[in-house]
Formats: sequence, C-alpha cells, structure tokens
Amino acid sequence: QTLSVVGSWSSLPLNQQYETPFWTEILPAAVPGLEVEMTTHNQMNLGLGDIYPLLGQGVYDVAMTVADYAVSDAPELEGLDVPLVALTADEARAMVEAAKPMVADIFRDRFNAEMLAIAPYPPQVVFCNGEIATLDDLTGLKVRASGRMTAKLLEALGAEGVNVSFAEVPGALQNGVVDCAVTGAGSGYSAGWWEVSTHLLPLPLGGWDSVVTAMNLDKWNSLDAETQDAIRTSIKADFEDPAWAAAQGALVNDIACLTGNGECASGEARSMTLVEVSDADFQKARDILTTEVLPEWADRAGGDWAQRWNDSVGAVVGVTIE
Amino acid sequence: MMELIWIDRLRRINRWVALATGAMLLACAAFVLADIILRRLGSSLGGTDEIAGYAMAIGTAWGMSYTLLELGHVRIDLLRSRGGTGLKAMADIFSMIVLTATVTFIAIQAWPVVERSLTNSSRANTPLETPLIWVQVPWFAGWIWFATVSALVTCLALSMVLRGRAEETEAIIGAFAEQETLQ
Amino acid sequence: MIGAVAGGLLGLLALSIPVGIVLFLLGFGVDAFFSSFPLSRGLGNMVWSSSNSATLIAIPFFVLLGEILVRSGVATRTYAALDRWVSWLPGGLIHANIATATMFSATSGSSVATAATVATVAMPQAERLGYDPKLFSGAIAAGGTLGIMIPPSINLIVYGFLTQTSIPRLFLAGLVPGLALALAFMGITVLICVIRPSLGGVRRTFPIQQMLRALLDLGPIILLFGLIVGSIYRGWATPTEAAAVGVAGAFLIAALFGGINGAMLRDSLLGTVKITSMIMLIVIGASFLNFTLASAGLGREITTFMDGMGLGPLGTILVVVVLYIVLGFFIETLSLMVVTIPIIVPLVLEQGYDPIWFGILMIVLIEMALITPPVGLNLYVVQGARKSGSLNEVMLGTIPYVVMMLVMVAALIALPDIALWLPAALE
Ligand code: NA
Ligand code: NA
Repeated sequence: QTLSVVGSWSSLPLNQQYETPFWTEILPAAVPGLEVEMTTHNQMNLGLGDIYPLLGQGVYDVAMTVADYAVSDAPELEGLDVPLVALTADEARAMVEAAKPMVADIFRDRFNAEMLAIAPYPPQVVFCNGEIATLDDLTGLKVRASGRMTAKLLEALGAEGVNVSFAEVPGALQNGVVDCAVTGAGSGYSAGWWEVSTHLLPLPLGGWDSVVTAMNLDKWNSLDAETQDAIRTSIKADFEDPAWAAAQGALVNDIACLTGNGECASGEARSMTLVEVSDADFQKARDILTTEVLPEWADRAGGDWAQRWNDSVGAVVGVTIE
Repeated sequence: MMELIWIDRLRRINRWVALATGAMLLACAAFVLADIILRRLGSSLGGTDEIAGYAMAIGTAWGMSYTLLELGHVRIDLLRSRGGTGLKAMADIFSMIVLTATVTFIAIQAWPVVERSLTNSSRANTPLETPLIWVQVPWFAGWIWFATVSALVTCLALSMVLRGRAEETEAIIGAFAEQETLQ
Repeated sequence: MIGAVAGGLLGLLALSIPVGIVLFLLGFGVDAFFSSFPLSRGLGNMVWSSSNSATLIAIPFFVLLGEILVRSGVATRTYAALDRWVSWLPGGLIHANIATATMFSATSGSSVATAATVATVAMPQAERLGYDPKLFSGAIAAGGTLGIMIPPSINLIVYGFLTQTSIPRLFLAGLVPGLALALAFMGITVLICVIRPSLGGVRRTFPIQQMLRALLDLGPIILLFGLIVGSIYRGWATPTEAAAVGVAGAFLIAALFGGINGAMLRDSLLGTVKITSMIMLIVIGASFLNFTLASAGLGREITTFMDGMGLGPLGTILVVVVLYIVLGFFIETLSLMVVTIPIIVPLVLEQGYDPIWFGILMIVLIEMALITPPVGLNLYVVQGARKSGSLNEVMLGTIPYVVMMLVMVAALIALPDIALWLPAALE
C-alpha cells in the first residue's frame, strides 16, 4: 500500500519539523505495510488553488496546505480561520476543534476528500514601517494582506489592501509601496522584515493560517477500518498535538526575536517596537469584525453556515454573527 | 486552390484575433501603469496583479493559433531539412496531427477546471472576488479555438498532399516563418 | 527516469514536432510509465495556473518594449551608434551585437526578448557586410542571455520569490557579473578574430565627430534604463510592474525620437502576440512536464543523489553546477528554476553559501541553458530572425561564449565578491 503525499511549503518549519517526519518515518512505522512517497506542493509547482481539487480528482492521495488557498471553491471554509478571535495557541486550537465537523463536511462535499488533521502556521501578525500605536492608525495605510477575510477586515478598519508577493515585501516596505504587511512572525524574522519595518503589532489580524491535511475520499474508503483507525490515532498524537504544542512557544520566541523582548532561540534578537493594543481598541476591531466582516462572510457562504458557525466556533470564542 | 483560400481566410481571422489579444495586453500595461501613478497620488485601483494574470492566461490561449499560422511555434529542423519535398511534407503533416491531438486533449482537459468553477460558483481568493468563470470561460474558448484551427489546418494540408500538391504545404505548415513580420 | 525523458525528448524533437508539444507528450509519458497516479487529470489545472501568472506578464511587456524600439527605428540607431564605437575591434560588427545586447539587457527582463530585438536589427547587416553567420548569430544568442543577468530580470524575480531573497539586492548583484560577461564575450571575439580574421568581417573606424554624434543616439536607451531601474529603486513600482513602465517609456521614446503610427503599432502588437505565444506554449508544456516529473519523484532522485555524495561546500557547488549544465540541455529555463530551486537552494545554503551569490551563479548557468541545444530558446529566436542557413550554425557560433560562461562560473566560485561587492557597498 503506497500513499502519495503532498506537503505544504517546504521552506517552513511545519513541513520540516512535523509533516515530513510524520509521513515519512512515524506513520510507516505505525502502520505495517504502508509506504509513503512525499513531496511538497511548491516542489510540484502547483497553483495554490489547485492543491485540494487535484486531491479530490485522485492525482495524489494526501495533501496538506493552508485552508485559505481553497476558499475560491468553498467560501464557507473562510469560517475556519477568523482573524482576531483567537489570541493564544490554546484559543486557536479550541476554535479549530470546534470547526472540525464543518471542515470535514466541506472537504467531503467540495473536494471529495476526508479531513484528517488541522495544524497551525504561526499567527499572522502585522509589520509596519512607521509609527503606529492603535488600530486606528492603520486608517489610510497601504497594507499587504494575504487571504480574503483579512483583506476585508483591513478594508473595514480603513486600511487599503495591496497585492505584493512575499519576496517583494521588504523592498515594498522600504520604498513605501506598502506601509504595513501581514505575515507569520517567524517568516518575517527569517526573511529580514525587521530591517525594513519599525513597529510590530502582535495581533493575529491574519488569523492562524490553519493547514488542513486531507486524504482522497475514494482512497480513504478503500482502506480497512483498522488502517483508518491507526492513521487517525497516529496523526493526532504524532503530528497534530506536537505541532500545536510548539505553536505558542514559537509565537513567544518569534516576537522576542523581533523585539528583543525576552529570550530568542532562533538567532540574534532585533529591536522592533512592540505595539500594545489597548482593550478598547481591540474591542472596536472585534466589533467591526462581528458587525461587518462576519455578516459579509455569512452572505458569501450562504446556506446555514452562519448558524452552524455560531453554534460551534462562535460558541467557543464568544462571538455571534447577527 | 480551395485549400489556399481557406488558409488565407484562417490567417486573416487569426490576425484580427491576435490584434485583439495584443490590444488586451496593451490595455493591461496601461492599467498597471495607471495603478503605479495612482499609488504615487495616494490611492490605488487594486487587483492589478490578479487582472494581469487573467490577461496572460486568456491572451496566451487566444494567441496560439495566430502563432501556429505564422509558423511561429518552435520546431527542431535538423533531420527534416535534409529530406526532399515529400519527406518534409510527411514530417509536417505528422507534426500537425500530433499537435492537433495534443491541443484537443488539452482543450478537453480544460473543461473540468471551468466546470468546477461553475458548480462551486468559485470566486478568486482576493479582495476583488472575481467570479472565476468570467475569466476561465474565455480562456477555455481560446484553447478550443486553437484546437479547431489546428484541426482545420491539418485537414487542409492533408487534402493538398493527397491531391499531389505536397510542395505547396511548406508555406502553410513548414518549419520557417516568412520574415515579413520581423522587418 | 531522467535518462528515459532525455532520450524521449531527443527522439521526439528529431521528428520536428513543436518543442512545446513535445514537452506535453513527455509529461504524458512520465504519467504512463513512471507514476501510479492519474497525473494527466491535472493537465487542465496546470495549463490554467501556469499561464494565469502576474509574473509572466512581464514577458509580453518586455517583448512589446523591444518591438516598439525596433519598429520606431530607435533600436537600429542604437545599433548603428554602438557600431561606430566598437567596430574597430577585430571582429567588427560582432562587437556591436554584444554591446547592443548589453544595452537592451538593461531595459529588458527577458533574455528571449533581448535576443529577438537585437537579432531583428542586426541580422540584415550580417548578410550585407559578409560576416561569418556562425559567430555573428552566436554572439546575438549569447549576448541576448545577458537580459536576465543585467537588471531588470524576470528570472531573478522568480529566484527572489522562491527563495525569499531581496529582489533589489539580487538586481544589484547581477550588474557587475553581467558587465563582466559582456566584456568577456567581446574579449573572446577579439581573440578568435585575431587568430582567424576570416570569421570577423570588416573592421571599420569612424571619424571622432561621428563617434561623438553617435553618443546622442544612445540617449533614448539610457533614458529608458533609468526609467525602469529608477522606478524600482525609488519604490514606485515592483520589479514586475516596472515592465509596464518600460512599455510606456518605449512609447514615449518612440514618439520623441522615431515616430508612432498605426501600422507600427499593429505590427508591434502582432509581433508581441506571436513571440509570447511561442514562449508560453513551451513554458506551459514545461510546467506540465515538471508537474509529472515532480510527482513521479524527480525531487527524491535529486535529493538521494546529492545526499549519497556526502560532499563538502566546494564539492556540492561543483555537483550543482554539473547538474544545471546537464538539466539545462533539456529543460526550459523558467521551469528548470521553479522545479530545482526548492530542492537545490536549501542544500547549497546548508553549506554556508550566500543566497544572493548563489542566485547570480544560477543565472549564469541558466544563461548557458538558453543557448545549449536541444532546448535553448535563444537559439530558436535568433534562427527565427534569419533569412537563410540552419540552426546548426547558430549552435556552433555560441560555443566560444558558452566557454566564457563556464569561466564566469569558475570566477564566481573563486571570487564571490564579483557578485556580492556592489550590494554590500551600497548598503
Ligand atoms: Na535585464
Ligand atoms: Na538548453
């Protein structure tokens, strides 16, 4: 029994530290007779929006990538990863666990795939080249965002979304093509964004970029119940749990590395200014989220998704879409 | 001479198609430029990246058949050029049949992409939220057009060879373009 | 698998099937023989997502820029001006080819577009003045490759994107090696033409007044270079957007120095569509082939190969160089970069090399791939602009320049500062 597995970005720690060891070493050891051939979607040069559709067509057996890449085909999937509602890894995990039944349904209906696990990329925080003290200061600024709900939230906050590819961001920040940019704290640290930006807003304005692992449904159904159980047990204990356990530590470490606020294990600490957002300010952003951004999403998603979201994710994070 | 008249018609149609494609690319450049200027003035059109990508996909698909008729698709001419007229015509016909089959297969395989966007009412994962069928249908049509033109040219050239006019096919499906466009 | 694909490629190309179509056929072959998965089901998605690319739109923009310069007469005047300055060298007009290619490289991010522009203006001269067609056309094909080394550069944008390296710094790093390569090309031309004067054609000298007046004709191109590169460094445009700035600049320059009319605009657009579609059929076919190769385990084959060697820093770089030279024969360059960068760059950086430096080294190897048969786009473009003669002549003519590229590779490894000095000095 051979599984063809497509991992997420090969340059990021999630793939190197968790996906690759799990699929190439841990799982084959746990399930006798199982072999795995592993690559990543960037090594295959796949279009980001094609990763799950091709999984559904059986071009490979297992794929994992950021759920946000697939919202073109499934707007309801945006509800998996709402910005600003989860501030710590524990809260994010609770949010994701609550969303899992919905995600499983979406993957079965839209992509002919069985959801196996959801792991986090680090939360997507805001780097600005220029002084900001409150969220209001984002008004009128040009911000590079990735993902639709983040862009909508920034627009609602009065900022203007600009499309710049990741590699062009440092130049764009330096030259004022953008004033701020959203990415994972760790990615921003290793790509040297601290050289070209001064202020770090550690709010997850871009959400947590959940990475969904799924298997082609026909392949999944062809496995016997014992193998299915073994995969489910192993992927939770040996992939999902460790990835989540590391997430909070990584965030604290990455922020320390960028601001010099504490111990940095990844290299030299830098001296960006950490922006503390006041409770009132934060509450205002949450209000905009619940009164504008989420209702718009409910319209995009249609059906009873808003209700399902309120009953699951909303109940956990304490937000209700009106 | 029926065949040559038809080839001439196809060439003329594809010239117009190519002009429209070129005009679209030019408009795209103007759009990008407008965005750069507006950004200097503190505002932005937004979404130029996305629109440039669509223009590229659609333009590429619709430009293919013009390039085919201008003999612009690169072929390696090492062995073929050593043969006589008959052998050359055989190589050209064979090459056209393979091309037509491949392009037809591509056009067929392009349909599921459009179909998926249709059934999911897919919209781009961007602030513009472009409905993907708006751009994928023209793209798909471009590949259908390329497949159709390839098939027509193949049939016309084949008919010429069968009627013993193999030497005339060189100008239609041969390996080198006439240079008048590059002067 | 690599062997089978290379063999299949040669066989199918020999049948004179269009190169882009051959790449699709090889993809089907890999799917059928080396993969247990129905990869061809991904064909439609690959065709859509490889052509729906905001980065690739720089190709038609740069081609259009070149077309406008050619058809407004600006390119011809640039060529003539450079002719005044360099044709006294042994090799005569061949130096003008290289010098013109170098200048256009500074306004074009694409090697193919650069070669197409220079070939169009230079080729009629070769026949008129009785040059050896081999060296003459080889110099254009090789000179054209500088288009991706001297900024702006589509390939450096792609490298920067895939490796998360600063694109403006990559551009700075490419400048010195690019100019050094241009000088090396001229040097080897002098050497060859001193040994075999018959290859060089006439050497010509011009009165100093003519030479000085010719400088004025270089003004438009220098202006255009300033506009494109300036817009990037001033932060007005991203490197991709700068191609659109270049098109606008070319129109402006054509209006000022040549003239714009309906027929010229029409021909420029038709030429752009023709060259762009030619390139894109190959790029799309290559993307599909790469997708099948990667799915069938090319990455694993390369990784196992590299790991098995257990090499130190120098050994690793040498193996990487050989790998790119070999793959460069067969694989179209943009896809070669896209497929190998995620595999090779981490291995190289692990050995302590600088990512900017390796980007420049890779560009030299990619330049070489552009003029090595059987898949070498610049060879085809130059051949396409000729009125007679066979592709073999162009291929033979590039050999001396390939040798100089190898020298450049060695120089970059021995003296990394060739690439790294300028970005460091301007920090
Ligand atoms: Na260039
Ligand atoms: Na090559």
